[in-house]
Amino acid sequence: MKGLMNYFPGDTFLHRMDPRSKIVFSLLVCIACFVTNNIYVLLGILVLDLLIGVFGGIFTQALRLLKGLLKIALFLFILQALVMRAGTPAFYIGKLAITWEGLKTALMGVLRLIDITLPLALMISLTRMSDLSNALVSRWHVPYKYAFAITSTIRFIPVFTSDLRSIMEAQTARGVEFDTKNFFKKASLIVPLCVPLLISSVKKIETAAMAVELRGFNLRTKDSSSKVSQFHLPDYLLLLLGIGLIVLAVLI
Amino acid sequence: MIRFEKVSFSYMEEGSTLQDLSFTIEKGSITALVGANGAGKTTLAKLIRGLIHPTAGRILFEEEDISKCKASTLAARMGYLFQNPDRQICKNTVGEELDFTLERTVQDPIERQRLKDDVLNALQLDPADEPFLLSRGERQKVALASALVHRPQLLILDEPTTGLDYKECTQIMEYVQALNRQGVTVVMVCHDMEIVLDYADHVIVMHSGKITADGKTRQILQDPTALTSSALLPPQIIGLAARLMADGYSGFEGICTVDAMATQIEAARKAVTA
Repeated sequence: MKGLMNYFPGDTFLHRMDPRSKIVFSLLVCIACFVTNNIYVLLGILVLDLLIGVFGGIFTQALRLLKGLLKIALFLFILQALVMRAGTPAFYIGKLAITWEGLKTALMGVLRLIDITLPLALMISLTRMSDLSNALVSRWHVPYKYAFAITSTIRFIPVFTSDLRSIMEAQTARGVEFDTKNFFKKASLIVPLCVPLLISSVKKIETAAMAVELRGFNLRTKDSSSKVSQFHLPDYLLLLLGIGLIVLAVLI
Repeated sequence: MIRFEKVSFSYMEEGSTLQDLSFTIEKGSITALVGANGAGKTTLAKLIRGLIHPTAGRILFEEEDISKCKASTLAARMGYLFQNPDRQICKNTVGEELDFTLERTVQDPIERQRLKDDVLNALQLDPADEPFLLSRGERQKVALASALVHRPQLLILDEPTTGLDYKECTQIMEYVQALNRQGVTVVMVCHDMEIVLDYADHVIVMHSGKITADGKTRQILQDPTALTSSALLPPQIIGLAARLMADGYSGFEGICTVDAMATQIEAARKAVTA
């Protein structure tokens, strides 16, 4: 089963685009999210994020990711709404006033969180890590070791997520209540799992390091790439869209 | 003890992994789940343990619908060994590792100590050893010990002999068999057909998420179509018997042990010389 940050093969125009334009676009969306104070711009960016899922043929995955983010967002929304004291009271919980300003700030905060996370995660799902690595080395002259470290980190996220899921299953089978509905109890139970997860991760990384050494890791140069990374019209249009979003965020 | 009623299961976004499975696992049996990689054996084992729930049909454990139970609450009655021992091990010493299971499943401290000592002796484990510094085979033994230390009614083993040498393999299978004689029902996913022949009394053959054969071990392992349709080979002794019979030597039908084979070969030799 594929999860977050896994590559989803396909032949859409988003798949074919240069990895650099996809990464830069995601960063431009991030900037736009931080610059704007307009809720409609943030909602517009959310729609745009979902359109990436539609055009990339990974709409189901985008919705799954959104569903996961909404759980965190709900927690942050409640926290933010409770903490923000200034403004006109909207309603009371006991003696505690929840203000309109608090609700608006909380909503803006969670929309920012979702808008920032979605494009990067989706773009990574539409990009082969080897293509990203090649582009970073051949075009941006990032030393191969660093490019490899970046792409390996991204590649290992779903692996570790899957490991964590398996470890939780194993501990549930031994009577640990990971199947509880209580979020806080579940979160407290995760701490002891850090031991097996950390050990399995270190072992995996050690083995992977040895494997790449044995396959001539240090012999690679920036010209070794078998693919040429190049910008085409869709790449420029995507970057223009990103810049347009920032301009819009500043103006509105 | 376990009854599957028209059970189907699929992971999200993927096609059906298991389709319309109906079978029964008898109390006190050792049942082997065999099949090629990707046949659905581990998924089936997880369904039995209640770690995942069927998308259709129901699974009854002692007439109780597993889907309605929390997996963690079944720990006292079911033990589960995962393919990878490192998934299970989470404590600093072997002793603590066993305590981890016992604290959740056995109330009486004296009984806990007795069970712990018993499994440590049987599997020759040192309670002071650090699990993550042990060899792969030793870690497998630690994981197995922690899965069965509390003597569950049902023990599910996902490839219990992976990474073990012949001696370790025999040691743990003898212990599992001894537990089975004391009333523990065992379900094991196994690729090693020799182990299946030696220890299982019931075999379920799987292929592409379906059960292609289900019956007594010797009956299934001597049926070439049941195995070959699932890309499996019979144990060597059964393969040899079948080959001799195909070459025209009679009397080798049903031979499953080295002793029986030796006796029959001796009889055949005497018949030829006479």
